[in-house]
Amino acid sequence: MIEVRNLTKYYGSLCAVNGVSFTVGDGEIVGFLGPNGAGKTTTIRILTCFHPASAGSATVAGHDVFTESMAVRARVGYMPESVPLYVEMRVREYLRFRGKIRGLDRDTRERSIARVTERCWLTDVIDRPIGHLSKGYRQRVGLADALLHNPPVLILDEPTIGLDPTQIRATRALIRELAEDHTVMLSSHILPEVEATCRRLIIINKGQIVASGTPAELRERITGGSKIIVEIKAPAEQAATAIRKLDGVRAVETHADGDWCSLAVSSDSDRREAIFRLAAQHDWPLRELRRDVATLEDFFVKIVAGARDAHSVAHTTGDQQR
Amino acid sequence: MRNTIAIMERELFSLFFSPIGYIVVAGFLLITGVIVLVTGSIAPGKPATLRSVFDFTPYVLTIIIPAISMRTISEEYRSGTIETLTTAPVTDTQFVIGKYLAAMIFYTIMLAGTLVYLVLMMIYGNPDVGASLASYLGLLLLGASFTAFGVFTSSLTKNQIVAWMLGMVPLMLFVWFAAFIVQHAQGGLRTAFQKINVLRHLDQFNRGLITTESVVFFLATAVFFLFLTTKVVESRRWR
Repeated sequence: MIEVRNLTKYYGSLCAVNGVSFTVGDGEIVGFLGPNGAGKTTTIRILTCFHPASAGSATVAGHDVFTESMAVRARVGYMPESVPLYVEMRVREYLRFRGKIRGLDRDTRERSIARVTERCWLTDVIDRPIGHLSKGYRQRVGLADALLHNPPVLILDEPTIGLDPTQIRATRALIRELAEDHTVMLSSHILPEVEATCRRLIIINKGQIVASGTPAELRERITGGSKIIVEIKAPAEQAATAIRKLDGVRAVETHADGDWCSLAVSSDSDRREAIFRLAAQHDWPLRELRRDVATLEDFFVKIVAGARDAHSVAHTTGDQQR
Repeated sequence: MRNTIAIMERELFSLFFSPIGYIVVAGFLLITGVIVLVTGSIAPGKPATLRSVFDFTPYVLTIIIPAISMRTISEEYRSGTIETLTTAPVTDTQFVIGKYLAAMIFYTIMLAGTLVYLVLMMIYGNPDVGASLASYLGLLLLGASFTAFGVFTSSLTKNQIVAWMLGMVPLMLFVWFAAFIVQHAQGGLRTAFQKINVLRHLDQFNRGLITTESVVFFLATAVFFLFLTTKVVESRRWR
């Protein structure tokens, strides 16, 4: 549905997106994740025909975003990040206007407005001026607008930013529901957000894709580095030496805290049972024994930080050469 | 066509919704009213003609028309609605023409407010209606050309006041000092300035003459600036 090849965008001399390639299949729901300024919005704006790319190409619903811009625009429902609206208009007037410029005839337009207002919980505010609505309601007006012409592709830029927790849940549920009959691409800089709604994640940083895959796949890539956290009442050195002797233990970090000491045990496999037996054998009281499962959040932070380090290294060597 | 009309309707809605629209209309009607009063256009014993009003109006319009057109495109940039508009299946030309037509309709409605003086004259005297209608046609065409310039300046910035200034200053220089410029220019330059002298063209209409040259002049400048506007809107995408 969406196919992006080597997309590059420069703003003056600043490279916002650098050779990004990915595809989003029919009916997929994909999260586009990255820290602020990673190039998410730029990529999305190219896909929605707001900006042309500096290099590379992209097709949406089988049409090239540059040469067949009108066909793409007719098939995409887009909600920009800041949800710009005409504040002086009432919700119904606004949706009517949007329906008109999307080429919906009067009957279809009125039916579509009824459908999207119900779906986005706007029925209560349909005759209120948009300027009087709260951020949450405006966000829903933006979403209603994106759904108005029932497009096969939905592109949502930060759809839940600025909403309260209840609204976030409701919006997530709505997006999941929409994914049943639409191809959805949404962006966010908050990982739990995309993890909760998307089946596949694309992580972008500094204008480049640093990882992509299902949340499970991404998580798998980091569980190898999992740790066991032990808090034990024992002399720190003695406990550490004993644990190091266990099979599969690679390293132990200790941190003494009065009579107690806490140990972070890196191991290839889950060694909790062995640690428990060891403690029982030495009669060391144990108050905590848990496996510190790396979260996707850690992964996200790690990749983003990693990419940043690599970037700064590249910069320093570049400077030295100069 | 439907897109152009939809954009025009929406823009008109905003123009009539904003206080600026009403202030502009009130300001224009007040000034023309004062001109009628000061020039003694409606007074016993005077010839029943609105000539002096028509002579003064272009000076006022250099300020008023940019105030009508200033918000058309700049406001879309400021509020960010340009993003939802240009990602909908609307061409840049439809967008620009829709905006332009809205400003033109607003201007026409405002200008129609001054018809009251013509009607008063027809009740109490015997004015040359044909010549007055020619003058109105002249003002409409002048408005068409000024509005196109105003929409063009509105496309250059996201700030309405900047758009107003950018529209007003060149128009003022051009209209207020037209006679001076023509007088001091020499040779070919002088002929060129005479050709594009807005007041000379308008004067034709005020004499009751509708010449092809003047009609084409106003329409051609309007088309020229609308073309430039679409180019500006297009080029802003690349930034």
